[in-house]
Amino acid sequence: MKILRGTPVTALVLLVLVGAVSFLAAREFLAMRVPDVVVPAPGYETHLLSEWEPSLKGTPADTPVYIQAGSEPGGTVLVMGGTHPNEPSSSLTAVLFLERARVNRGRLVVIPFANIMGFSHNDPQEASPQRLHFTLADGSVRTFKYGSRATNPIHAWPAPDVYIHPQSGQELSGKEKSNLNRAHPGTPDGDLTSRLAYGLRQLIVKEKIDLAFDLHEASPEYPVVNAMVAHERSMELAAMVVMELEGAGIPMRLEPSPKNLRGLTHREWGDFTETMPILLETANPSQGRLRGRTDEDLVLTGRDKCYTKAAALGRLFVPYDGSQSIELRVARHTATVKTFLDMLGLFDEAKEVDVEGIPTYEELLGQGYGAFLTPLPLKDASPGSQG
Amino acid sequence: MDWFWPEGFYTLVMVGVFVLGAFALKLPIAVAMSLAAVSGAVVAGDGIPLRHLVEGTFGYLDTILIIASAMIFMKTVERIGLLEAVAARMIRRFRSFPLLLSLGILLLIMVPGMITGSSTAAVLTTGALVAPVLIRLGVPVLKTAAAIAMGAIYGMIAPPINLPAMIIGGGIDMPYVGFALPLLLCTLPLAVVTALLLVYPDLRRFKGDEVALEEQLREMERTPLTPRLFLPILVLVVLLGGETFLPGVWPALGMPLDFLLAALSAFLTGRRWNLLETATSAVEDTLPVMGILMGVGMFIQVMTLIGVRGFVVVSALALPAWLLYVGIATSLPLFGAVSAFGAASVLGVPFVLALLGKNEIIVASALSLIAGLGDLMPPTALAGIFAAQVVGEENYFRVLKHCVIPAVLTAAWGIAIILGASFVAGVLY
Repeated sequence: MKILRGTPVTALVLLVLVGAVSFLAAREFLAMRVPDVVVPAPGYETHLLSEWEPSLKGTPADTPVYIQAGSEPGGTVLVMGGTHPNEPSSSLTAVLFLERARVNRGRLVVIPFANIMGFSHNDPQEASPQRLHFTLADGSVRTFKYGSRATNPIHAWPAPDVYIHPQSGQELSGKEKSNLNRAHPGTPDGDLTSRLAYGLRQLIVKEKIDLAFDLHEASPEYPVVNAMVAHERSMELAAMVVMELEGAGIPMRLEPSPKNLRGLTHREWGDFTETMPILLETANPSQGRLRGRTDEDLVLTGRDKCYTKAAALGRLFVPYDGSQSIELRVARHTATVKTFLDMLGLFDEAKEVDVEGIPTYEELLGQGYGAFLTPLPLKDASPGSQG
Repeated sequence: MDWFWPEGFYTLVMVGVFVLGAFALKLPIAVAMSLAAVSGAVVAGDGIPLRHLVEGTFGYLDTILIIASAMIFMKTVERIGLLEAVAARMIRRFRSFPLLLSLGILLLIMVPGMITGSSTAAVLTTGALVAPVLIRLGVPVLKTAAAIAMGAIYGMIAPPINLPAMIIGGGIDMPYVGFALPLLLCTLPLAVVTALLLVYPDLRRFKGDEVALEEQLREMERTPLTPRLFLPILVLVVLLGGETFLPGVWPALGMPLDFLLAALSAFLTGRRWNLLETATSAVEDTLPVMGILMGVGMFIQVMTLIGVRGFVVVSALALPAWLLYVGIATSLPLFGAVSAFGAASVLGVPFVLALLGKNEIIVASALSLIAGLGDLMPPTALAGIFAAQVVGEENYFRVLKHCVIPAVLTAAWGIAIILGASFVAGVLY
């Protein structure tokens, strides 16, 4: 290897260059710390998770929790998005329930950005876009961040070589320690991700959540995709919903929660609380390993020549006709959650939760996601605060 | 042409600029990689994407810290005289038992890799320890380095810690359970073969000048091998072992801090050494590799951004069934030029999915073995570069030449295990 001769002048030039590059790049990285702005529908109360787990107060893990109670008593349902901030249809679906829902009976709890610490950065070498833009009916534009699967390492570094799930002793790659969906049911004295999982468990227990959704996306080449994963306690209701969805032309695989894969919501919420947990997966090409050019267009349209070829090779677990739009993915989540809400009362009358105002599958596909977002109030409408 | 254009063209541009920069213009590899990354982005219409270039380098932050701290540790134990004193003792004890010495040394090289999951850690600790032994006993320098590099890779893959297997398992939600036997099957036979190929023949034939050897040994023993001298090694074993074997009880300090604390404990050995000089020398030695990793980080981020990564992965998956195994044996190590862990994630996961139906644990174990060969692949070639450094060889390509036969055997063994995965599973479980 040839060694270049350095002089004080070359050193100074390099230092100045490094300083300039660092400054410019840092501006882009720091912009990811500005939170996304949401506009809760009338009737929602805004809380923070630390109200259920005080050790989270003042930490970057303290995520907003929105609760809307209907005029009639009924059950309580949790819709949680953003466990993995690189799976955008999950948080976008939760935002839809936050901005559109009118609860008549029971209570709806919405957490749009579950691992809010994953929304402030992107995964190195994944080349993810930082933001998604949606045009609203009034022509304004709202943006949402595309984050990382894991807690920002600034809050969790260094990762151990091996992550050991505290309750089971299960061993996983060390980076999984920052994965919220390997940290459940959480511990009150663990690291921030584990305490976040513990806080979510406390919320489910104290608010007596009857039905809890954890929304996700998966690579199209992953076997559990366009699917729901149900704990034993949720299985009967889930089976009813799958049949209903099939009837509506929305095919959905139903997978039992594996007992030997620990740390995930569908297993731990079921085992450690009284709730019925459901995990939903849609197919997101922008997080897959086979994807081609990685940009906002891929996230929004799911159009990708590499996936088209992979589908022709029979390597995918979803029908792929050249696209998997964000509208389709949000519509699948939305229709599934809504069908659960509709069926919950049939399953147990006392737990009925009646919610109006949520767009249908067809409406989302026809009008697009932006059409159902609420325009930002003027004070939040500047580019910086749109986050 | 539809499939090739434009991603295939971008691939050629990136590879072409790298080759031009590194070989024609003789630029440092790190600079050539960075230029290739920038060229790819410019050609694809992304300009100079500063954020992506910087973000890509962060993929190797932990690796860089481990490399720098491990090298400081190695230089420290060298400065206090421990390396030579241990080598002299081993030569006196075991030189009459060449077979035992060959096998024992390979196993010794593997141990830090088995505990940490890092081939760099293995090369720079026990690799550095055994290098003088082998060289004094007549094993040529290049073969010594090759044996250290191969042993370190087998150590990285052997249980209990195998990070590529964990990464592949994580990609398909498979817990890291039941891997110990398959990983031993993957690595131990190859370690034995490597010892017999690269170390044993020269040890057996060694007929050195006894008087000269005795003189050399006395020189090496000028630092008395007291228990106190072993303190840095002991501290390192306790820190690394504690994290591995007492999880939940032992604080997770991370490998870089473990290495630095172990190096600092050398102050308690009673030997005089200069911390600043040692650290400066270590960083100087590792700077080119750290630069290469930065360049590779930019390269892979731009590959992902402009679609070259997907083009490469799907092209490998598109190989006809009979060529799939050839694709695995070649593309996994080749992609390891970026990093063995990156190869496990980007290609290992799709390959294990393509092989669903066979026993996934056996398949993932074998894929991790083949991915481990990435640590021999230039320009990163972490195992090859550091093995060359510990024997004082400047051109690591000369070391890699001696790794070719064991590496081919490794890839063939990995493929054989995949092909016979059902049979292997029946025997092991």
